[in-house]
Amino acid sequence: MAVLQVKNLTKRFGSFVAVNDVSFELKEGEILGLLGPNGAGKTTTIDMLLGLTTSTSGIIKYFDLPFEENKISILKKINFSASYINMPWTLKVIENLYTFARLYEVDDYKEKVKKLMDEFKLTELKDKLVNDLSSGQQTRLYLCKAFINSPKLLLLDEPTAFLDPDIADIIRKIILNRVKNENTSILFTSHNMTEITELCDRVIFLSHGKIIAEDTPEELAQKIKFCKVRLLFAVENNKVKTLLENYKYSYFIENKEIVISLDEYKVGQLLGRLSLAKLKYSQITIDKPTLEDFFIKVAREKI
Amino acid sequence: MSYRRILAIVIRHLYVWPRNMDRLMGSFGWPILEITIWGITMSYFQQNLSNSLSVLTVILGSVIMWQILARTQTEISIVFLDEVWNKNLINIFSSPLTKAEFLVSIVLLNTIKIFFTILSLMIVGYFYFKFNLISSFGLYLPFLLLNLLLVGWSVGFFVIGVIMRFGYRVQELAWAIFLVTQPFSCVFYPISALPPWAQSIALLLPSSYLFEEMRNILSKNSINMSNLYISFTLNIIYLSLSIWFFSAMFEKAREQGRLVKLN
Repeated sequence: MAVLQVKNLTKRFGSFVAVNDVSFELKEGEILGLLGPNGAGKTTTIDMLLGLTTSTSGIIKYFDLPFEENKISILKKINFSASYINMPWTLKVIENLYTFARLYEVDDYKEKVKKLMDEFKLTELKDKLVNDLSSGQQTRLYLCKAFINSPKLLLLDEPTAFLDPDIADIIRKIILNRVKNENTSILFTSHNMTEITELCDRVIFLSHGKIIAEDTPEELAQKIKFCKVRLLFAVENNKVKTLLENYKYSYFIENKEIVISLDEYKVGQLLGRLSLAKLKYSQITIDKPTLEDFFIKVAREKI
Repeated sequence: MSYRRILAIVIRHLYVWPRNMDRLMGSFGWPILEITIWGITMSYFQQNLSNSLSVLTVILGSVIMWQILARTQTEISIVFLDEVWNKNLINIFSSPLTKAEFLVSIVLLNTIKIFFTILSLMIVGYFYFKFNLISSFGLYLPFLLLNLLLVGWSVGFFVIGVIMRFGYRVQELAWAIFLVTQPFSCVFYPISALPPWAQSIALLLPSSYLFEEMRNILSKNSINMSNLYISFTLNIIYLSLSIWFFSAMFEKAREQGRLVKLN
């Protein structure tokens, strides 16, 4: 069952088209990544999905119900968190969570808040003001707020931006754990491709407000046909460089390694040419294309 | 309309109120300071220049009533600005909270806070200057207070609408608007003291009728009820218009993506 259906969603600000005829679905328990360079229309899409910005045209349906006509009942079942929002910093952690539990009309909210604080490791911080929390603790609080109403669908706009890798990893594990236990669907945006690959079942790629690709992270990466061959040579690099330049290979030097970008099927040919020239390498690594490569290619070339 | 969501906003702000010095000064500090300064000044004039007790009474009554009005309109706008400053606007408006519930919650919050402001002004007025607000206005007091609150709510909703339309750069309006309306509200002088062009503006403000009748009650112990009815009618019209304006600006802000940018 689709928890979210978006059909031909468009948003114009004057002559500027921020979101252009976007259509997609999100299934129950699915994590869908919304990717794209800055200004691609991701946040505007999320703003429309939350009713914070109205669409110019198109249809948004949650649980088969039109959003605008059923806004209150739908908003009770979804929630949101983003790196660019905050919570009242002069309120204590527990006061903030009580406030949002009341806003979402959570039954037996004190018990619910207690459980969530335990899960998000906020119990010891409950009497601290938000202002006195570290970035990681604040993000845990925002996510805790996002789960306060046991949402069927969660919209997360770059929730781990500005966090160090360790804290971001903990946050990802918490999210995955909640999805597994509660069957929550998630619409997720991030600029961290590793994170997207780890979390998302499917990815939609936006560029200039339009969907230009939609697939699993692995399949999208496969659309990039080139790979990177990293070679470490015992001989002088100059001889290798001459060979690569003669055959017009694209390469660069990184940590004493020569990194050659080329189509996957040409790897054998390259290695044959090196062998014929008696240029022996001491180490070889072949980097398969990743989602990040796809992102960079799309962002630069707009395929 | 959900009372739980309304209470959520009310309690959220009440949590902060006792521990935020800015808000405490707004509710108690500045109003008490104002009444103290005016009280001392008028006591001096009374002792040295005039034997009339009514001048002190009228001025103190005016100061108290004006503080109630000014605090109401400022508080209403500041509740909204508080959410903007805390980057919490997206959180609350992406929750099931409706526009109407938000307005009701800030009115309820304002009523609670202004009750304590009135109480503190009554205590200071009585103990320092022997001015008894209740006995001075008698049964007219609830009607006068209700009308003052209605004026404050209308202006407050209007200011929030303007901030939604023009953004941060007009937030100063939250504090400045009552200074603009004060001369035309005829707080310390009768409407007839204004030049003719200003009188026509004053007659459009419900507050001018209220202060006129407040002076009549305090100095002549009489009242022209028709002025109170005009004030009430104008209040209902302006309150309806301000709610409509808030709603229209809210929808415009959603359409133009400004609600998110305010955050």
